[in-house]
Amino acid sequence: MANIGSVVSKFYSEYSIKTPKKMKIIDAYLLYILLTGIVQFVYCLLVGTFPFNSFLSGFISTVGSFVLAVCLRLQVNPENKNQFQDISPERGYADFIFAHVVLHLVVMNFIG
Amino acid sequence: MKFPVLLSIFCIFIVKSTAQFRTLVLLDNQVIRETHSIFFRSLIDRGYSLTYKVADDSTLVLSKYGEALYDNLIVFAPSVEEFGGVLNVDTLTQFIDDGGNVLIAGSSVTGDVLRELASECGFEVDEEGAYVIDHLNYDVSDEGEHTKLVVDNENLIDSSVILGQPRQKIAPLIYEGTGLLADTENQLVLPLITGHSTSYSYIPGQKIKEYPHAVGKDTLLVAGLQARNNARVIFSGSLSFFSDEFFTASVQKAANGQQYEKSGNQDVAIALSQWVFKEHGQLRVKSVNHHKAGESKPPSEYTIMDNAVYNIEVEILNGGKWEPFVANDIQLEFVRIDPFIRTILKKTQNGSYEAKFKIPDVYGVYQFKVDYDRVGYTRLYSTTQVSVRPLQHTQYERFIFSAYPYYTGGFSMMIGVFLFSFVFLHFKDEDKKSKSD
Repeated sequence: MANIGSVVSKFYSEYSIKTPKKMKIIDAYLLYILLTGIVQFVYCLLVGTFPFNSFLSGFISTVGSFVLAVCLRLQVNPENKNQFQDISPERGYADFIFAHVVLHLVVMNFIG
Repeated sequence: MKFPVLLSIFCIFIVKSTAQFRTLVLLDNQVIRETHSIFFRSLIDRGYSLTYKVADDSTLVLSKYGEALYDNLIVFAPSVEEFGGVLNVDTLTQFIDDGGNVLIAGSSVTGDVLRELASECGFEVDEEGAYVIDHLNYDVSDEGEHTKLVVDNENLIDSSVILGQPRQKIAPLIYEGTGLLADTENQLVLPLITGHSTSYSYIPGQKIKEYPHAVGKDTLLVAGLQARNNARVIFSGSLSFFSDEFFTASVQKAANGQQYEKSGNQDVAIALSQWVFKEHGQLRVKSVNHHKAGESKPPSEYTIMDNAVYNIEVEILNGGKWEPFVANDIQLEFVRIDPFIRTILKKTQNGSYEAKFKIPDVYGVYQFKVDYDRVGYTRLYSTTQVSVRPLQHTQYERFIFSAYPYYTGGFSMMIGVFLFSFVFLHFKDEDKKSKSD
């Protein structure tokens, strides 16, 4: 247990020092999405799948948002600059917003 | 003035009376006409027009210019080896395929052409010279070979549609002739009269060297077939079964049986002729109607979970008239490849049946299907195709209470990305400034 504790504390300290603040903002956003998704899933387990389309669209909107946010994080991360030389962070953000517009249109259609 | 009117009425009468009953009778020789006169008389009395021909008459035809000349065919010519004219196994099976009814009587010397015809219909006639023998159930008038059998009514098919009355009321029958075997794979064959469990079919007076072809209850004396087009065929292993001699004979089992004044042959033979020529057990659908509950006309399509009402009227031919058919076992199926719903149709009036049910929660192309196939009746088959569509976009339930967490989740994602954008964009500027500093 102590081993795991030390790993976690080291990870946390490294994270707080080395990670740029922008990444931290995205990570906080990711955590928020993750929690929302978990809450919906647990609720579905408790209540049942009755308005199944609503559950699906609610849950998929969290999953989709999560995936898009992870993509954004990869593209704007300074460490990955070599991989995304053609894509500036602004372009990445624009893609992110465009994908969100499509995602939420679909979700709102399907949520019932 | 009156003459043309009378003439036209007369013509209508002629057409009507002979429309269904044109019957060709093929005989071995004209003597059979006399020896089976009671049977033929009963047919004529019921309105049949009989055309007697010798079976090898060279002018025999069943149809002319594609029109059938006869509706029914009686073959009382067991020993004929080849028919005259254009008649052969092919034309006879074609006759049956076209909906003609055939009554055939064989005997212990059944000819090849009848054997072939029998096997076309799913029966097999035992070897030449073979009789059905029963050492326990033979008549007192038997001459020692135990081939003149007394057949109890429990060996008749249990169907009052075919027999015209419950089989318990029928006196024992006399039978002398060959045995038949039914093709066990053929579901359309009906064992109308079977032998006793102690009977077998073999050549009398010969030592039994090999196992008899037909033994016990498997020995068919009279077999019937109702083809898929509802044409009916009866094959009797005995011509004398229909004879005046057997009709009027008294019956007594040699083994201290009760004596009956008159055999049941006449009742059964006439009932069989009524059945085979479709006087009995002919069903038809008069009308079919289906609609949503509370409406009266068929909709262009149903929606899933609709309440549907299905009505069908069924009629039976009784003495030349269509009358309401009464039964309590007609079923309706609602089929999309597989039946999704199978329900009993309830009688509303005489001959009118109704089923109410909820259309399943699955959309697609369905059929209302009534498939009524009972022993002795013609097959009643009616399908009506309807389409079932899913709910329209406006028909779904909105703002379901238990779905609010999902709505909240969906909207919170939208608000989330909105707020995140502000933070993200705003922070970017600060970051650049700090870097440039």
